[in-house]
Amino acid sequence: MKPESATDPYSKQVRRLFANPVHAGPLPDEYNGGVVAEATESENGARIVLSAVVNGDTIHLLRYQIFGCPHLIAAAEAFCDDAEGRPLDALIDMNISTLMEGLAIPVEKTGRLFVLEDAAKALHISVSESRSTED
Amino acid sequence: MNLNTNQAMVYLDYAATTPVDPAVTDAMSACLGAAGTFGNPASIHSAGRQAGLVVEAARDQLAGLLNCQARELIFTSGATESVNLAVIGTARFRAGRGKHLITMPTEHKAATGAFAALEREGFDVSYLMPDERGLLPLDDLKHAIRDDTQLVSVMHVNNETGVIQDIASIGELCRREDILFHVDAAQSVGKLALDLSTLPVDLLSLTAHKMYGPKGVGALYLSDRPGCHIEPLIHGGGQEGGLRSGTLAVHQIVGLGAAADLARSRHVEDLAHLRRLRERLWAGIRRIAGILPNAYLEDSFAGVLNVSVEEIDGESLLLALEPVCVGTGSACNSKSGEPSYVLRALGRSDAHAQSAIRFSFGRDTTAEEIDFTVCRYTDAVKHLRAISPAGRKTA
Repeated sequence: MKPESATDPYSKQVRRLFANPVHAGPLPDEYNGGVVAEATESENGARIVLSAVVNGDTIHLLRYQIFGCPHLIAAAEAFCDDAEGRPLDALIDMNISTLMEGLAIPVEKTGRLFVLEDAAKALHISVSESRSTED
Repeated sequence: MNLNTNQAMVYLDYAATTPVDPAVTDAMSACLGAAGTFGNPASIHSAGRQAGLVVEAARDQLAGLLNCQARELIFTSGATESVNLAVIGTARFRAGRGKHLITMPTEHKAATGAFAALEREGFDVSYLMPDERGLLPLDDLKHAIRDDTQLVSVMHVNNETGVIQDIASIGELCRREDILFHVDAAQSVGKLALDLSTLPVDLLSLTAHKMYGPKGVGALYLSDRPGCHIEPLIHGGGQEGGLRSGTLAVHQIVGLGAAADLARSRHVEDLAHLRRLRERLWAGIRRIAGILPNAYLEDSFAGVLNVSVEEIDGESLLLALEPVCVGTGSACNSKSGEPSYVLRALGRSDAHAQSAIRFSFGRDTTAEEIDFTVCRYTDAVKHLRAISPAGRKTA
């Protein structure tokens, strides 16, 4: 049996994304905060705030602020990078299993990763609500 | 923060394990190979007798470090086995007199695991909470002692926080009450002065790899004063006075002896070096907002500094600190994310315990490495706070 300690808990992708979190932080000031949604996971206290600028039906900018483990940070970075430039429904089409598989995130972290899905769905609702208010 | 760096590894996890000293390696090498002292000490031919001699020389070296009799030392595979042998061996031997045992919830899992096994056998274990300094309150111990109490077991230096228990006072109380006293000294042997000719300690567990010796070897001190007896856990060829069967690992034992000899001559100098390193590190990071040491520095071993910072995820901090290798104690398991049970027992919140980092230093640690670590830790905290929702601007 391969000893657990001999394996790196982080894949190369997770290490790369954790070290280069280009989508981390708030939106640039000129967007005045954009549309914001957040989600919290009670067990480990993981928390994500997603901020978006949406042009028409397209996600123009997507940023995250986060309190969580390296796997969650890497997943948020990968998600934001992928979602930018895509239709708004990318927020509700997110598949946590696919994301975890792509980043080789251990299944034990699944609970924590759901906070990202919750935040994305909440952001989709916030965008819809802000539009109906504008209407 | 640039998380990418070409800096070489900085090892600050000496409480987890230490590198083997070259002098120890040389002594061990002399026991390997056809020209070495490779015999089985149980054999009566010359190769066996030769091996037996180096084993006894190592026992003398270790006895010299602890100021005890060589015959009071039993070689084992390490501290976990020694602790198990001490705790379970004592409890089973004295089970006819009583089944009550006392320890603390802040002990290493080697001890808490052994006590949990004894509870499943029907023993009654009292887990005494530490005070706010991490120390065992003597009054609580006095009140916990019963007529059927047989053993008190505490660690000398806590592996996570570095807190030093007052083993002299605890031992005196145990002697007065005719209760055996076991000390898990895995973190203190070779680092702090331990004189077993004067300390009221009946059993003491140690390992080689925390004091620049090899992994896989340790010892149990079992006082030869009347009443100190244990039941063996491993049965077989009757080595070590029948208390620990199994062919003696000659090269490992020789390594333990050599490490003990080195520690005996160096521990005062080593301790002064560790003090300087810890002061340097603490001076460098103490001004970070929300930072809190998890032990009073004056109560703890100078080779350890355990700190938490508010609003920081410990696992992310650990990764952001690379290439600095530090410990989290039993803090943030990368899979379970469970915070340290030791820090929780000290009253720390889960969030606080989860951000705990244990820096531990050694003989080879340099001031330059500490300075690099100060910068890395400060930058890592700053970076994780910058991306945290706690500091976010509201629209």
